[in-house]
Amino acid sequence: MAHIDIQNLSFTYPNADEKALSDICLSIGHGAFVTLMGATGSGKSTLLRLLKPELRQNGTLAGKIKYDGMDIENNGTRTVGYVAQNPEEQIVTDKVWHELAFTLENLGAKQRDIARRVAEIAAYFDMDAWLERDTATLSGGEKQLLNLAAVMTADPELLLLDEPTAQLDPIAASRFLSTVYRLNRETGVTVLICEHRSEELFALSDRVVVLDRGRLVYDGTPREVATSAATAVDAPDSPFMGFLPTAARIFHAVNGRGELPLTIREGQRFVENFDNTVRSLNDEAVIENREEALSLKNICFCYERNGADILRDLDMTVYRGEVFALLGANGAGKSTAAAVAAGLRKPYSGTMKLFKKPLKSYTNGSLYRGNISLMPQDVESVFIHETVGEELKYCEAVIDSFPYDLRPLYSRHPYDISGGERQLVALCKALSSKPGVLIMDEPSKGLDANAKALLRDIILKLKGDGVTVLLITHDVEFAALCADRCALFSQGRIAAVDTTQRFMSGNRFYTTAASRITRCRYDGAYTAERAAALIRRNGGAL
Amino acid sequence: MIVIQNARLRTVLRYIIPFVLIPAAVILSAVVFEGQRYLIVSLGIAALALLLFMTGFERKNIGSRRMVITAIMTALAVFGRFIPLFKPITAICVMTAVYLGAQAGFLCGALSVLISNIWFGQGPWTPFQMLAFGLIGLFAGYLSRFLLKHSLLLILYGVLSGAAYSLIMDVWTVLWYAGGFEWKLYLSAILSAVPFTALYAVSNVVFLLLLKKPVGNKLQRIKIKYGV
Amino acid sequence: MKCFEQLNPFAVAVYYLCVLGLIMFSMNPLLLAIALLTSVLSAVLTGTANGRAHLFSAIVFLVAAVLNPLFVHKGVTVLFYLNDRPFTLEAAVYGLSAACMLTAALYRLRELSRVLSSDKVLYLFGRFSPKLALLLSMTIRYVHLLRVRYRKIQDSQKALGLYDDGNLIDAVRGRARVLSILITWTLENGIVTAESMESRGWGTARRTSYAVYRVHAYDALFMFVCAALTALTAVGVYHSEVVFYPVLDMDLLSPWGIAGAGAFTLLSVLPLTINGTEAIRWRISISKI
Repeated sequence: MAHIDIQNLSFTYPNADEKALSDICLSIGHGAFVTLMGATGSGKSTLLRLLKPELRQNGTLAGKIKYDGMDIENNGTRTVGYVAQNPEEQIVTDKVWHELAFTLENLGAKQRDIARRVAEIAAYFDMDAWLERDTATLSGGEKQLLNLAAVMTADPELLLLDEPTAQLDPIAASRFLSTVYRLNRETGVTVLICEHRSEELFALSDRVVVLDRGRLVYDGTPREVATSAATAVDAPDSPFMGFLPTAARIFHAVNGRGELPLTIREGQRFVENFDNTVRSLNDEAVIENREEALSLKNICFCYERNGADILRDLDMTVYRGEVFALLGANGAGKSTAAAVAAGLRKPYSGTMKLFKKPLKSYTNGSLYRGNISLMPQDVESVFIHETVGEELKYCEAVIDSFPYDLRPLYSRHPYDISGGERQLVALCKALSSKPGVLIMDEPSKGLDANAKALLRDIILKLKGDGVTVLLITHDVEFAALCADRCALFSQGRIAAVDTTQRFMSGNRFYTTAASRITRCRYDGAYTAERAAALIRRNGGAL
Repeated sequence: MIVIQNARLRTVLRYIIPFVLIPAAVILSAVVFEGQRYLIVSLGIAALALLLFMTGFERKNIGSRRMVITAIMTALAVFGRFIPLFKPITAICVMTAVYLGAQAGFLCGALSVLISNIWFGQGPWTPFQMLAFGLIGLFAGYLSRFLLKHSLLLILYGVLSGAAYSLIMDVWTVLWYAGGFEWKLYLSAILSAVPFTALYAVSNVVFLLLLKKPVGNKLQRIKIKYGV
Repeated sequence: MKCFEQLNPFAVAVYYLCVLGLIMFSMNPLLLAIALLTSVLSAVLTGTANGRAHLFSAIVFLVAAVLNPLFVHKGVTVLFYLNDRPFTLEAAVYGLSAACMLTAALYRLRELSRVLSSDKVLYLFGRFSPKLALLLSMTIRYVHLLRVRYRKIQDSQKALGLYDDGNLIDAVRGRARVLSILITWTLENGIVTAESMESRGWGTARRTSYAVYRVHAYDALFMFVCAALTALTAVGVYHSEVVFYPVLDMDLLSPWGIAGAGAFTLLSVLPLTINGTEAIRWRISISKI
């Protein structure tokens, strides 16, 4: 018998004209690993929440959801676990052990049983060493693992994961997904996960389900779904193209035949089929006599007098009108570097210049009005007012230049709009002072492929207008899409800096999927589009 | 151990404390100690009153959203004690009580004292402070209809609660120091504390006025959005 | 190594309840002198108080000692007159005792705050009500969270050119704005926490409260010793009654009085003794290896 049986499910939110979900039929067997994909607003989260009665939102529901042939309402907390996007906010208590005990406390379990389960879970998730820690001191990835572990203490049969890795850096995301995979294989828990990280998930899942505007459009094994999505008539403009793994996108862009590649290895084998007489596109622009916009020389910084240095002799130069990406692992101090560059933290040694004048010579007023602006990682820290309209009162000029119309959102509360839209409103505010240098801290965090593409367009437009952009990010793929130069940050300084093309080709591990797929055959093919262009130049389709 | 996991025991306690234990403590103090041990007695009464409230709290079914909002407001009151120039603890308790009810107000007041004293120092004054701030929140909750309608009443409440708090805590200081109640010491304590009391009352009013609209709007919105 | 700080929080709380209770309610000059000496000793040995804290205690001691004879003019033995008011020996002795009491209590409370960390306070209060335990735990988490966020908001507001700290009014207004953003941010996202609670079974059954602390035999033994010493001291204090006014009348060195003082001394140095013997036992067990 199927574990979950969804029959003709439709759902409409109150005051909404369109159905959030319409006529969904889906049957999932025990122990399956199912990935649910789709753009923001396609109804993925709605569907997931409907599967957990406690989280149901108001609205009208038609159709049936059955667990093991029984009506869903008869199922309690015990059997369905749910982990959402935001690692920080899902944590309830102040200590790690307390968080693990929380579910069982709620179910009224005895001391002895709780002690046993907490120890068991801590050992399985390798968190024994942090049981006594304050939850506030954990990193984002650790927090999300804790959320997963806390849900598993109740021993659920079904695990619902709503974009659990959207806020995590790639390494933490990988660790999280492989833990989920291990749980699925070792305990047989059924997994239903909404995610954008197709690169990994297409390799892990048994099945992929794609939703579009509330309708189920594709359902099958990862290869089936990727093939049918890629060969559909309107494929090039289809919003799903962005969600496919790079190998599949290259395959599709060159109208490849045969079995569609999904992973890096399969992609490499696919690329080997083509000639490589033309090894590179030779399109690298050489710019000379560039003017320095922001320069940091021998910057040292630490938070406490006797603490470890976060920045150690950091040297960094950003030229006028370029997009410069500072890449690196989480916790390496990138954000601190951003705060220092923005003048928010004072280094204890070194010199900083902004447009050739020492940073010290600016007052707070002149620095942040017209010269430099920072879009913070947590955009919530920007919103003061109760409507988007009030927030954007003095940003008319910026709004007009945006490719996305923010005006329809004016009457909404900043917290009632989507994460991507919130990002744009914050960006508008950061741009309202017409800064010469814009620093963006993890702007692509939590965005889906389409929102990222929009953000890239905006950044490139800003660059066209002469704004210097410093991107702080752990998202290599995003940096590859918009940066002119990239730098790898490690141990408080820059370990390597180069043009994006040379940076991506030169790196073996810390680089884009396209670059890894093509590195033996071509140079500088660091995006799917560039790889496809090179293949075409070498003779095109098979 | 005094783990009160047992529901029946809690119910019994709820009635025993106000109707038996507290009167007994007062009579005992009058008869046995001949009025000598005010401090022990008052400490006992404060602790019992808090215990009474806790048993009541445990009995109720409280929604997760209400728990979260109460925890956030309490944390804000605690955090307020750390910000220089800012001591909005009373204002936050009153706002919480006015929008979320007397129980939340009491919890916000009492728990913010208990938690902030982890950093500012616990002592025998903790139960008194807890009770004092708890009661400020509790009464604000009972009076919420009037306090919401008239700003003037809110200001008056801020002044009165500030003054009452100082007067009560001074009684306690004298009790501790002198072992009994001394009018002269009490008056001198009040007089020496006048600047502080005044500052305290004024800051209550300033923060109530400053926070009333923004915090009120936020809580109102959250109440609607969360369906609390 | 098992030391005093690692005992069950209840045992620790009982200890301080006993010591503070005796200090605050005995008003026996001998006992209070012992209390002051032992609490200073303990503060020095455990590193509880630094130079500034000692200075503060000294000031409290002096002020408290002088305050009583200046305001209270009871007692028959007049030492001298100040502004035509009698300064009496009785009031001075009472003042000194009260000063000892106050200072000793302050030292002990400082120690209590050091030993009772937030999770221990939470454990103690959580025993009364599992729900309250959770509320406390949630609040402490939010206090940490608010601190981090306050800093972030300050930064981003400053970088947007919206934060001036030129003068006092601007500073207060800036802080109010930061606080306002902080409240919105935390309240609005609180719904995620609430949902996380609900999806993990909040309110489905009668809640229990899990604690990492266990009660061991030595915790019970420790509490028993505390209670016994306290009882002995209390009996001693009761039998050597002290009268301050109008004439000093105290028999501090009666057999009962000496027994009480001895018991109190033992009680006062109990944590030091435990930690000391443990340290010695550790040395011995190391040397055997």
